[in-house]
Amino acid sequence: MSAARWLGAFVLLAAVPFFLGDYHNDVYRKMLLWVTLALGYNFLFGICGQVAFSHFAFYGIGAYSVVILLFQLNVPLPLAIVLGVAVCIVVALAVAIPSTRLEGFYLALATLALAQLFVVLLNEGGSVTGGNGGIANYRLPNVFGFQIRGPWYTGVIAALLVGTYALLWRLDRSWFGRACRAVRDNPEAAAAMGVDVARTKVIAFTLTSALAGVAGMVYAFVDNTVNPPIFGLDNAFLLLFMVIVGGAGRHAGAVIGAALLFLLPFFLSPVVGHHHVLVFGVLVVAAILLQPKGLIGLYDAFRRP
Amino acid sequence: MPSVVLEVRQLTKRFGGLTAVTNLDFDVLEGEILGVIGPNGAGKSTTFNLIAGAYPATAGEVRFAGQPILGLPPHKIAARGVMRTFQHNRPFVGMSVIENILVGAHTRFHMGVFFGKARDEEAQRLRRANELLDFVGLAEVRDADVATLSFGQGRLLEIARALAGEPKLMLFDEPAAGLTPAELERVAGVIRGIAARGIAVLLIEHDMHFLLPLAHRVVVLNFGAKIADGLPDEIRANPAVTDAYLGSHAPSR
Repeated sequence: MSAARWLGAFVLLAAVPFFLGDYHNDVYRKMLLWVTLALGYNFLFGICGQVAFSHFAFYGIGAYSVVILLFQLNVPLPLAIVLGVAVCIVVALAVAIPSTRLEGFYLALATLALAQLFVVLLNEGGSVTGGNGGIANYRLPNVFGFQIRGPWYTGVIAALLVGTYALLWRLDRSWFGRACRAVRDNPEAAAAMGVDVARTKVIAFTLTSALAGVAGMVYAFVDNTVNPPIFGLDNAFLLLFMVIVGGAGRHAGAVIGAALLFLLPFFLSPVVGHHHVLVFGVLVVAAILLQPKGLIGLYDAFRRP
Repeated sequence: MPSVVLEVRQLTKRFGGLTAVTNLDFDVLEGEILGVIGPNGAGKSTTFNLIAGAYPATAGEVRFAGQPILGLPPHKIAARGVMRTFQHNRPFVGMSVIENILVGAHTRFHMGVFFGKARDEEAQRLRRANELLDFVGLAEVRDADVATLSFGQGRLLEIARALAGEPKLMLFDEPAAGLTPAELERVAGVIRGIAARGIAVLLIEHDMHFLLPLAHRVVVLNFGAKIADGLPDEIRANPAVTDAYLGSHAPSR
């Protein structure tokens, strides 16, 4: 897609909050964040075929890093962003290099352990992480003297989403994206074609983890609070459900899955209360059994019968 | 005089107490089709896998274009210019035919993903992939899902995908296995065309009827050791070969 189209998509997404009230703007921008996360996770899980549960933890690592750097260590904003990304990359490499060299589910186990360890560290982090209560009552520093608030900050999130989408879209259509799919489909044949399987996995994991970290940094100033329960495994699995229900391996599938599963509880809770997780479970099982290509697969079948 | 592309010297592989390949020597020249035949268990597949880097050798040397390649991982051997097909087709099932071919060109991408001449390079590789589809005769299924291909088309895809890596040496692992007579004819024609382009071809094959009319030279293995080598006609006339293959499997011609 051309740069003009991406810009058009950004303008459209960034304009929406100016027509919404505060409550709906909050729902809207959280939906955009979920879509951003699902796009990155889809690249890792759906396109590169790696089962990892750390994507949401990296979202948390990004959020906590930027807040701690800015307000505990008084690092200036641009440097805090760079260092926050660096933290995500270092942690991602530390997990990926040993575990992707092993076969199959070791990455799943290692990332599950990382996700659990991260929440424990947040809770036990004392004054650095704020413990159970997390860190609150901070505000985004002014950027070039401007306060970015309300619907304008939603513009930052729209830019994050469109930037992430454009990056992953480009990667997917390059030799790197094809190598990722080859690694997913048949690692031995991929190696025979000259693809360095371990390296491809490490790059895909590190890149998508860093993207999750950047999304986390943006999230940190949505509610101006970060606390441990948000970054637990519930949301890590919700992200997996979003990608499966939408259609793993397809960007549009990730968008549809994330938007649907994020918005569904708002419609379901008047009917079933907090049991919407049960509905999600049924949806995921139905998707795996009946429609492995997800909702985007249904759409394809409808368009090209 | 065509130059030597692949030199195999004293290649030996032992699995525990079993010696699968013993002190094997042979060369493959550019533009030459060298066939390696032998009955089941003769060490053909082991030889193939040693050269392709699938597992380590116990002893010996394999040199490609003068450089030792034994012990390199498969992706590095591919990057040097040695591409292979699989006996059981192994397409990338989530991709179209043309995308499969482009994966074969992986080692021929030198630009980045975003900047510079990335777009030109992609377009150039795509053109080349389309030429290869024409060459093997799969142009009409260019955008098809690989899952819809016939077994024979799948074999041709294996070949085109490997050629996309612009090899100097092509390794074929039993390319005749499972094909119909018409498909055999087509695959043989494609292999001749590859050699005619100056690419060295090493062909591991069980089916003598397929191999003997195709190969320029033949190496015969039995119990892991070379028992004969020479021109196809010499191999046909060699009693040691007919003995090794047993009466019923010997070629009648």
